[in-house]
Amino acid sequence: MNRQALSQELIKLLGAEKVIADELDLMYYSYDSSFLAKQHRFIPDIVVTPRSTEDVVKVMKYAYEHGIPVTPRGAGTGETCGAVAINGGIVLDMSTWDVIDEVDVPNMQVFVRPGVVHANLNEHLAQYGLFFPPDPGSTRMCTIGGMVANNASGLRAVKYGCTEQYVLGLEVVLPNGEVIITGGMKSRAVKSVSGMNLTKLFVGSEGVLGVITRIRLRVWPKPKARGIVMAVFPVLEDAPKAVLEVYQAGILPSGIEILDDSAIKAINMYRPDINLPAAEAILLFEVDGNPASVDWEGQTIKEIVNRRASQVEWATDPKRMADLWEGRSVVASAAARVRPDGSRVFAGEDISVPLSRVTEVLRGIRGLGEQFGIKVVNYGHIGDGNVHTAPVIDPEIPAEVEQANKLVDAIHRLAIELGGSTTGEHGVGAVRAQYAVAEHGDAVKVMQAIKNAIDPKGIMNPGKLFRLEGEN
Amino acid sequence: MLNQVPVVREQIKKCVRCGQCRSVCPIFAEFKTENMSPRGQVFLVQMLRDGEIQPSDKVAAKLSDCLLCETCSSSCPSGIQVHEMIQAARTYVASQRPSFTRKLIFDTVWSSPVLLRRTVGLIRLSQRLGLQTIARTFGLTKLLPGDLSKAEGILSSIPRRGARQQLPALTIPARGTRKYRVAYFLGCATDLLHPEVALATVEVLTCNGCEVVIPSSLKCCGMPQVANGEGTVAQELARHNNCVLANASVDAVVSDCASCTSALKSPRYQEVECGGQAEIYKKVYDLNVFLVDCLKLDSVPGSIPKTVVTYHDPCHLVKAQKVKTQPRKLLRMIPGVELKEIPERCCGGSGTFALTHYDLSMKILNHKVEAIAKTNADLVATACPSCIIQLEYGLRQNGLGMKVLHPVQLLSQAYQSLDK
Ligand SMILES: Cc1cc2nc3c(=O)[nH]c(=O)nc-3n(C[C@H](O)[C@H](O)[C@H](O)COP(=O)(O)OP(=O)(O)OC[C@H]3O[C@@H](n4cnc5c(N)ncnc54)[C@H](O)[C@@H]3O)c2cc1C
Ligand code: SF4
Ligand code: SF4
Repeated sequence: MNRQALSQELIKLLGAEKVIADELDLMYYSYDSSFLAKQHRFIPDIVVTPRSTEDVVKVMKYAYEHGIPVTPRGAGTGETCGAVAINGGIVLDMSTWDVIDEVDVPNMQVFVRPGVVHANLNEHLAQYGLFFPPDPGSTRMCTIGGMVANNASGLRAVKYGCTEQYVLGLEVVLPNGEVIITGGMKSRAVKSVSGMNLTKLFVGSEGVLGVITRIRLRVWPKPKARGIVMAVFPVLEDAPKAVLEVYQAGILPSGIEILDDSAIKAINMYRPDINLPAAEAILLFEVDGNPASVDWEGQTIKEIVNRRASQVEWATDPKRMADLWEGRSVVASAAARVRPDGSRVFAGEDISVPLSRVTEVLRGIRGLGEQFGIKVVNYGHIGDGNVHTAPVIDPEIPAEVEQANKLVDAIHRLAIELGGSTTGEHGVGAVRAQYAVAEHGDAVKVMQAIKNAIDPKGIMNPGKLFRLEGEN
Repeated sequence: MLNQVPVVREQIKKCVRCGQCRSVCPIFAEFKTENMSPRGQVFLVQMLRDGEIQPSDKVAAKLSDCLLCETCSSSCPSGIQVHEMIQAARTYVASQRPSFTRKLIFDTVWSSPVLLRRTVGLIRLSQRLGLQTIARTFGLTKLLPGDLSKAEGILSSIPRRGARQQLPALTIPARGTRKYRVAYFLGCATDLLHPEVALATVEVLTCNGCEVVIPSSLKCCGMPQVANGEGTVAQELARHNNCVLANASVDAVVSDCASCTSALKSPRYQEVECGGQAEIYKKVYDLNVFLVDCLKLDSVPGSIPKTVVTYHDPCHLVKAQKVKTQPRKLLRMIPGVELKEIPERCCGGSGTFALTHYDLSMKILNHKVEAIAKTNADLVATACPSCIIQLEYGLRQNGLGMKVLHPVQLLSQAYQSLDK
C-alpha cells in the first residue's frame, strides 16, 4: 500500500491530528540514540500518535489485516535501534500519551500510560513520599513504556533491581488488536502467583510481542537519607575485591560505580576543577535508607575499603555528595573530550559480566581498543558487573566507523566468553540480535515459538531481539 | 557552505541523540513529537549539510519552529549549541531562497535606526487601521503568513517619542564622582517601544557614578536578522557595532536588553575585531550584572510602596548568559519589594516569533501567565523588553491587571521617591 493511501486510512480511523505522514516529518523517526541509526536512515511509512487504547487497537487491527509492520516507540532514547522501523511500516509514537491515571497510595502502586517520562513520574510521586526506584541515566527523557519494554534499570539496580521488579501488571494490545491485562484482570494485589507470569514475558520484550498501553507499577517509600563513600584504588584488581568484601560484611549499597583510569583521565580533561586523583580505579559506594543505618553502613564501608584503597572519603553533606557524584555524572559527556575531533558512539556500550571477571573485561577492552586503534572510555555499575564502554571516534571517517564496528563486535564476544551478557540494561534491539544464539542457544527457538504464537504474521517490531542462525 | 560555519562543522558529529534537549524544549513540550524537538533540529541541519534534503520552504518552516531560547543548548551534555546551528541553517536556507520582503524588513529597515524609527512611527500612526492593513501595504503578509491578524494586539500602544529623542545628550555625565565611562547599548525595542526603561537605565547608571555614552551610530544588535535568516547582515552589523564601541573608549558596554547583551557576547561579535581592538565582548554587561557585580550596589536609597513582585527569567539572560542571581539581588534590595518566585520557563515571545507563530507562542505564554497568576503578585519584573511586551500582552488577554516592568524601573522609582 502506498503512503498516501495508508495515511488516508489511518486519518479516517484516528483523525488527522494523530497521523504524521509528511515525508520530511517522517525522517525524524528514522533514528534513536544508537550508533547504527547514525549510520543508516530507517524511515517509517507513517507515524501515529495514539492517545487511547482504542486508538492502538484500531491501528493494530488495521496493520494486522494488511500485514503492515508496527514499531512502538517511546522517547527514542534506546541505544539499540529498537524503536526504529527497520522494515518500514507504522511507528507508534507513545510520547504524546503521557498520562498518570492514578496513584493508589494505600496500596503503594501507580497506574500510568506509556508516554509518561520517568523523571516526571518520580516528581509526581514525591508529594506522596513515594518513588519508582529504577533510575536510568536517561531519566529526564525516557518513557515508562520504553523502560518496561526494555526492562531498564540504572545505577541503583544493585539494590533495587530492574523495572521488572516493579511491574505488577500491564495492559497490552496484541498484534491482532486484542487487548489483554496481565497480572490479574481486577487485581490490585502486590503479591500473586496465579497463572503463568505473562507480565514478565512482556517486560523486556522490546515491542516484539505487543503494544504496552497501561502499566501498573509498584512503588516504594522514598529513602530519607543518603551518603557516599569515594575510594581510590592504585591497582584495578583491588576494586572488585573491595566490592565483594563490602557484600560479605552484609551491606548492600544502593549503588556501586566504577571509573577506570580512562574515565578518570577523561573527566579531568573535561573538568579540571573536579580534579580526580590519578589511579587505576575510583569506586563510589552510595548507601541510602534511614539516617542511623546510612551512617553505620557508610562508616563500615569506609573501614573495609580502607584496607585496599589509597584514599577514602565518607560524605553525607548534600553539597559534598553532589561534588563527589559530579565526576560520575559528567563521564558520559567527558568521554568525547579524549579526542577534540571525536564523538562518543553508543555501540557495544552495555556489556555485563560476573563481578569476578570485571577486571579481566576492563583490561580486555583496553587491549581491544589498542588492537583496533580506537580510544575507549570505561565506567559503569560495578556492583552488578555492568560496564559501560564508550568508544570515541570520528563518525564521519568511514575507516574509523569500520574499525569501531569490529571493536564493538569483539567487545560483545568478550563479554559472552567471560560468562557475561552483551547487554546489562540497554537491550538487544536490532544491534545485538545477532548474538542471540551465542548467548541463549536453543532457548532462542522457544523465544521464536512464543513470538510466532502471539504474532503469527510477524508484524510487531520485526528484526529486533533475536535472529535465528542463518537469518539476516 | 553550511559546513563552513564552525558550530556546524565542529559540533554536529558530537550529537549522540540522547534526547536530553527534548526534555527541556518549550516547543517540544507543546507537541511531544520528534519532528518538533531540538534533537530533530540538529538532525535536520545534518541532513541539510549533507545534501540529503534541499533548502525548501518546508525546511525553512521547520527551522522556524524554534524560539532560539537556548534552553536546549544550555542543557546539552555534549555541549552542542543547537540554537546556533539553527541560526546558521536559517541563514543558509534563506540565502538559497532570497526573499525581497525579508530583505526589505531585516536588511534595509531594521538595520538602519532612522528607517526603523520612521517605520515604527508609521505603524503607530496607522495602528488604528490595524496591523493587518499595514502589513498588506508593505507586503509583510508574505513574510509573516496567517498569524498577523491575530498578532495585531501584541504591540499595545507605541510611544510617541523614542528614547533617543527623549534623552538629553549623547554623553550624559556622572552625578558625583565618575567611576566608569560606560557605553549604553540602546536596543531597538527599548528605544522605540519602552523608552521609559532607557530613561531609568540612564538615571540609575549616572546616579551611581557612570558617565553614560550612547553612540549615535550604533545599529541593531543583529538578533532579529539572525533569527530570520539574514545572518550575513547580522555579521555586518556586528562588525559595525564593534567598531563603534571600540572607538567609544569606554570601560564597559551595558544594556538593559537581555537579547542585545547576549547578541553582543555571541560568537558573531567575538569573531570580529576593529582596528586592533579585539574582544569588545569581554566588556559587555547585562545591566543587572553591571550594577551588582561591578558597581557593587548593595542597598538602594528611597523605597517603593509595598509591592509583591514576581520575576520572569528572560531566556537570553538565564540560559544564554547564566544570569540568575543579580536581578533578584537588585529587586530584594529595593525597600518595599517582596519577591515571589515562579518556575523558570520561556514566555514564548522571542522577538518576532510571536508574530510568525502566534498560536504556538500563545500556548507557551499561557503556562507562564498561569504561574504568574498563582503568585497573586502586584507586578512582574523582567529584564528584557521583548519579554515585557509578551507578558504585558498575555496578562492583558487574561484580564490580569498586573504591570510588567524592568527591574531598573523599580530602582529608579525608589530613587525618585527621595525627591518627593
Ligand atoms: C544518556 C542515556 C542514558 C541512558 N541510561 C540508561 C540506563 O542507565 N539504564 C538503562 O536501562 N537504559 C539507559 N538508557 C537507554 C534508554 O534510555 C532506555 O532503554 C529506555 O528505557 C528507553 O526508553 P524510551 O522511552 O526512549 O524507549 P525507546 O527507545 O523509544 O524504545 C525502546 C524499546 O521499547 C519499545 N517500546 C517503547 N514503548 C513501547 C510500548 N509502549 N509498548 C511496547 N514497546 C515499546 C520500542 O519498540 C523499543 O524496542 C540510556 C540512554 C541514554 C540516551
Ligand atoms: S542534548 Fe545534545 S547530544 Fe543530546 S540529542 Fe540534544 S543536541 Fe544531541
Ligand atoms: S532554542 Fe529553545 S525552542 Fe529552540 S530548539 Fe532549543 S529549546 Fe527548543
